[in-house]
Amino acid sequence: MKAKHTKYLPLLPVSCAYFILFLIGKNVAGMWQLMAMLAFYCALGQAFNIFIGMTGYVDFGYVAFLGVGTYGMALSVSRLAGFPNLGLGVVVIGLILSFVMAGALSVAVGAVALRLRGAYFAIATVGVNEGFRYLIEGARIWGGAEGIIFSGQLTETLGRDTASSLSTFWADVMVMIVAVIAAVITVGYMRGRVGYALTALREDEDAAKVMGINVTKYKIIAFITSASLAGLLGACAWALKVMYVFPPEAFQIQYTIEAIIIVVLGGAGTLLGPVVGGLIYGLSKYWLAVVMPGFQLLIFAPIVIFIVVAFPEGVVGWVKRRAKGTAIQSYLL
Amino acid sequence: MIGQQLAGNLVNGFVLGGVYGMATMGLSLIFGVLKIVNVGHGAFIMVGAFITLWMFSSLGMSPVFALPVALITGMALGFLIFSTVLRRLIKAPELASLLATFAIGMLLEEIAKNLFGTEFRGYNWETGKLVLPMTVLPMSKIYAFAGSVAITVLMYFWFKKTRAGTAVRSVVEDSDGAQVCGVNVSWVYALSFAIGIGLTVLSGVLLTMFIPVGINPYMGGSYTLKAFVVAVLGGLASPYGAFFAGLAFGLIENGSYTVFAALPGVEPFALTRFISFVMLLVILLIKPTGLLGAK
Amino acid sequence: MALLQLENVTKRFGGLVAVNDVSLEVEDGESIAIVGSNGSGKTTLFNVISGVYLADEGRVVFKGKDITTLPPHTRAPLGIGRTFQIPRPFSSASVRENVAVGAMFGTLSGAISVDESLEVADRYIHLVGLTPHTDKEAGSLTPVEKKLMEIARSLAMRPKLLLMDEALAGMHPRDIDEMVAFLKRIKAEEGIAIIAMVEHIMRAVVGFAERVMVMHQGQKLVDAPTAEALRDPRVVEIYLGRPAEDETHARG
Repeated sequence: MKAKHTKYLPLLPVSCAYFILFLIGKNVAGMWQLMAMLAFYCALGQAFNIFIGMTGYVDFGYVAFLGVGTYGMALSVSRLAGFPNLGLGVVVIGLILSFVMAGALSVAVGAVALRLRGAYFAIATVGVNEGFRYLIEGARIWGGAEGIIFSGQLTETLGRDTASSLSTFWADVMVMIVAVIAAVITVGYMRGRVGYALTALREDEDAAKVMGINVTKYKIIAFITSASLAGLLGACAWALKVMYVFPPEAFQIQYTIEAIIIVVLGGAGTLLGPVVGGLIYGLSKYWLAVVMPGFQLLIFAPIVIFIVVAFPEGVVGWVKRRAKGTAIQSYLL
Repeated sequence: MIGQQLAGNLVNGFVLGGVYGMATMGLSLIFGVLKIVNVGHGAFIMVGAFITLWMFSSLGMSPVFALPVALITGMALGFLIFSTVLRRLIKAPELASLLATFAIGMLLEEIAKNLFGTEFRGYNWETGKLVLPMTVLPMSKIYAFAGSVAITVLMYFWFKKTRAGTAVRSVVEDSDGAQVCGVNVSWVYALSFAIGIGLTVLSGVLLTMFIPVGINPYMGGSYTLKAFVVAVLGGLASPYGAFFAGLAFGLIENGSYTVFAALPGVEPFALTRFISFVMLLVILLIKPTGLLGAK
Repeated sequence: MALLQLENVTKRFGGLVAVNDVSLEVEDGESIAIVGSNGSGKTTLFNVISGVYLADEGRVVFKGKDITTLPPHTRAPLGIGRTFQIPRPFSSASVRENVAVGAMFGTLSGAISVDESLEVADRYIHLVGLTPHTDKEAGSLTPVEKKLMEIARSLAMRPKLLLMDEALAGMHPRDIDEMVAFLKRIKAEEGIAIIAMVEHIMRAVVGFAERVMVMHQGQKLVDAPTAEALRDPRVVEIYLGRPAEDETHARG
């Protein structure tokens, strides 16, 4: 019988991980970039995992939500720059806008796609990121194919020093905060009704329905949560750091690929999986960039295939299995 | 003026559509038999494109000779992939095969990138032109269309008349029933996957006959989406439904491009790509089993 | 008012009529056995009652409410539970979590917390005798254990009507007797009406059912109290091949 206070114990290792990344980055010279990148990959994995890990459905167009989030921040800064006395408010509004826009897109896509079963859903999502990109370029909205550059407006609104520290430090801290939020939500879902419903529908959708579970409702909950968090990540990790958004870059399938690798590697459906996966992938990419740049996908593609076939539970899933009945079991989720 | 342009574009669209349709046959076959969606579909088209390019540029051989090479390479690749990876995922949850085919496609793209680099390449195959009242069609496009039709017809007869084809059809209908009747289902799976990949690689050759430029390791992505639209339109498990759906798609794609090009304030190319995606969602909403499919 | 009423229910698949104009009334707490060969429409009938299929014609009325067009997930909170012929556990979850799902989304849905559901789960796991396996992964259980878990999971839903699909198939006769006694106890204690498919297992029919319903080619052939049904020559001829008394003695 799990007492209340042990329910949230698994958050401890996760939060420690992010805290350690922060400490190393802050105190060791030259390490901030790497720590920030690792935190980004972990956060991306956590947000993606809320959907793919818990429902067993894969959204191949996931990066669309990051892209939309980037636009949210870009639009807020560039359009609101003229308003006096807003200051950091433009960033706050940008965050809210990213969150809401990504959520809205997920409702639009989900309304159609989530009624479909597994494979059909995957097919429906394949073009979402491209589709949205071509909508922006085709209808010439939000700057069309040229995108939005808002570094000027940001400096103007916040002053050079604030803008600079925002894009080189605070944006990354925000990414870490989003990661922790994603972890808290994951635990809340996994230990609550939502988690039970999602596990049931992932294992056997028809049996779940007969047990009284409204599968579409729970799929939508997971989908919107995962998408909105991605929106925040797009705003913090992309928009605020580079201060421009460019459609071909913002909707690149590359990031969906990386999210998939991270979650599969670490263990889909676990809390720690995306963190472990993010760390392994991020570090590998960083080291390979020195030795053999651009090779990481070539190496990870067969690894993903191997894991899917032989170790579908991923690293953390495997460790959880071994840790059954031991003291550390309650820290692993 | 726009009328003639529209007519010209529609003819082009029809011819290209035939090739799209043929390019989707492999996808539909694999889904129909194995119930696996080959998310890496576009990467195999890319393989066919590079085979054609290499044979033309390095060996000086016309793309016609690339056809059998592509088919055989594709089938060998298909057998290899099936026996090492997919065979073990038949009973696994759907997510597994989706991720595996995705990763396989990715692997092919990365290998191609490391072998050939990321620049866009092309080749120039001069074989004359066909002059029509509304447009001029290079003979290479005609050959591509003729090739697509020929292969579709061949596959039709193969399914209907041969023992192997009938065995495959029986597994699509009812795999348990087929097994009870003595059909070696795992062999059918392997064969179908091999043929499906073979057809897909083959279609890469035909596509480059039609569009001999823009060949690069990542070219497959846009074809995967188009193939999905065509497959869903024609009935995901129906290989010849895919052909007719391809024709329809080619017409719609080129038709909408003409319309968009006439409108001010929009980018016709980008908007056409967006429309393909919307088509996919609309069809999936209305009738996921396909507007033209038998099932 | 009857608990469940089927009024002229018909279900077709293309040209095939799987359930043909079937009417049925089930009262609170009744125990009914459905008998019929493969293809007689029993499973389809269960699917229509639980909502997996929607009837093409006719009505399904539960507790006075017309549920004919309601999706399956709304029928469970109303009180319709179901087990499957081949158990369908949520394999990667523990036995406890599996049974808790029943409690969470069944008739108490909305009024029960996750912790309370786990407590209810423990109770029903104990009832079916699976307590030693509580924390095991459901996928690792033996087929019989999976069947028991499935029953516990359905009971945790606190249903008013339980549809049991071939619940006893493949069981040793001794286990069957135990199961029949168990079902009778459940019925009495929990006040559940049970419709069970008990293909050709006469000791179960005689021991458990107050009423027998025979289906053949989608139609209801016989619907009568057990003793009467077993004497019906049609039933005897189609399904037993020899008189009822011989069957029960042979298995004794």
